[in-house]
Amino acid sequence: MTAIAIARLDLKRLAVRPFPWVLAGIAVAMMAWQFLLGLSAFLHAEPAVPGATGALGFTDSVVGPYFLNFLQLCLVIAPLITMQALAGERRAQRLALLETAGASGAGIVVGTFLARLAFLWLLLIVVASMPLVLGGATQLDWGQFAAGLMATALCTGALTAIGIAASAFAPEPALAAAAALLIGEGLSLIDAGVRLAGGGDGWLGYLALHTHLAPALRGLVRSQDLVYFLVVTALALALAMRRVATERERG
Amino acid sequence: MAGEGALLQLDRISRRLGGRQVLREVSFALRRGEVLGLLGVNGAGKSTTLAIVAGVLAPDAGAVRIDGCDVADDARAWRSRIGWVPESVPLWPELSVSEALDATGRLRGMGRSARRATIERELARFDLGGVATRLCGLLSLGQRRRVGLAQALLHEPDLLVLDEPGNGLDPLQAMQLREAIASLSPERGIVLSSHDLAEVEAMCNRVVVLHEGSVRHDARLDGEPGRLDAQFRAIARSPASAAA
Repeated sequence: MTAIAIARLDLKRLAVRPFPWVLAGIAVAMMAWQFLLGLSAFLHAEPAVPGATGALGFTDSVVGPYFLNFLQLCLVIAPLITMQALAGERRAQRLALLETAGASGAGIVVGTFLARLAFLWLLLIVVASMPLVLGGATQLDWGQFAAGLMATALCTGALTAIGIAASAFAPEPALAAAAALLIGEGLSLIDAGVRLAGGGDGWLGYLALHTHLAPALRGLVRSQDLVYFLVVTALALALAMRRVATERERG
Repeated sequence: MAGEGALLQLDRISRRLGGRQVLREVSFALRRGEVLGLLGVNGAGKSTTLAIVAGVLAPDAGAVRIDGCDVADDARAWRSRIGWVPESVPLWPELSVSEALDATGRLRGMGRSARRATIERELARFDLGGVATRLCGLLSLGQRRRVGLAQALLHEPDLLVLDEPGNGLDPLQAMQLREAIASLSPERGIVLSSHDLAEVEAMCNRVVVLHEGSVRHDARLDGEPGRLDAQFRAIARSPASAAA
């Protein structure tokens, strides 16, 4: 109940701050540009392979890379939108205000997470609407699109939770952003060397975001990938809850 | 100690912060209807004591009780009986005064009609009707303090905890604050901190003097002007080793 109240409060506060709007504006503009570039490349390549069997369609060649680009952007946006969530509130003594108003540590963490996630998912809806408007004019693979959208949404959730955890542990919002960016980039690049060498099936590969995104962007929904995103999200939120719950002891 | 029938009781509270022993076995009690002033120089441990009373900080040792209920037993029930206004008066700068009060009521689990009624009551009590739609980030310090008080009183707590409530207020605002505290005290206990002797003498009927983390004086104010001043000066100049 308090989590919902805090989520409402946080969303309201996000909605009247200029920073999230600027961030959203820049993100949508960048994604629109990426989409146009992808679409343009697809249209130029199409005549070269008329009726060729096995040629990549619109969903494979435009939508998949487009969702991947959004997630690359989220590696930066998620830390920026979550950095103030707990670190900034703690500095301004508003975390203590929430606690004395009866909010539990878990309620605070889940509430701030839900508010930030709602912001990023709204952004994702706007971003996803770009290929959707072409759905009638091209052969959009709806199953593959839905799988890609779901994986992107789950990955966004994991990145948001990592940002919230970093904000819970860091004393300064800037440090929280830097830590969340490092962790996100780390998970994104952890298996880059192995992949270049042609490997990627080991535990390093399992930890990497790419391993769990790539199948979904091709339209393949695997339970192990869903579990991975949910576990990362739950783990990050649990760490943040533990940290907030011990604020009283640490001072 | 005189803890029988006390609304609030601190029993040998100790706390270290940043490698420094901030509080050493602090004990005092407060009865309903009392306004207790925590007096001390900067760094004496006043804010730490109040943060512990508010349930924001945990003591390393000792116990804090409201009507015999320990904060460690049920923090949620504890917080429902306390209203806390820290020195910096944290408010949500992006929200208007009535939105901030509404959000606090929502966090306290109050229903829509109860929230509406209590917000009206608090706006009237602290003469905030004129700024109800103004953003909290645009309020003067005096207005911020009144909004902080309104927020802290929304759920009608038994105990009001005010950290340096008179800091930065002009004489008129200070007078309004005194009147507000006087009108609030009969139904509840109030504990406030200050390093201003005149403020404590004007607002409180009991005083506890903290010096270097220890209670050095705990007595009712008998209304003799200047007597507290002499006692406080003597305590403030005494070395730490003289602590009880």
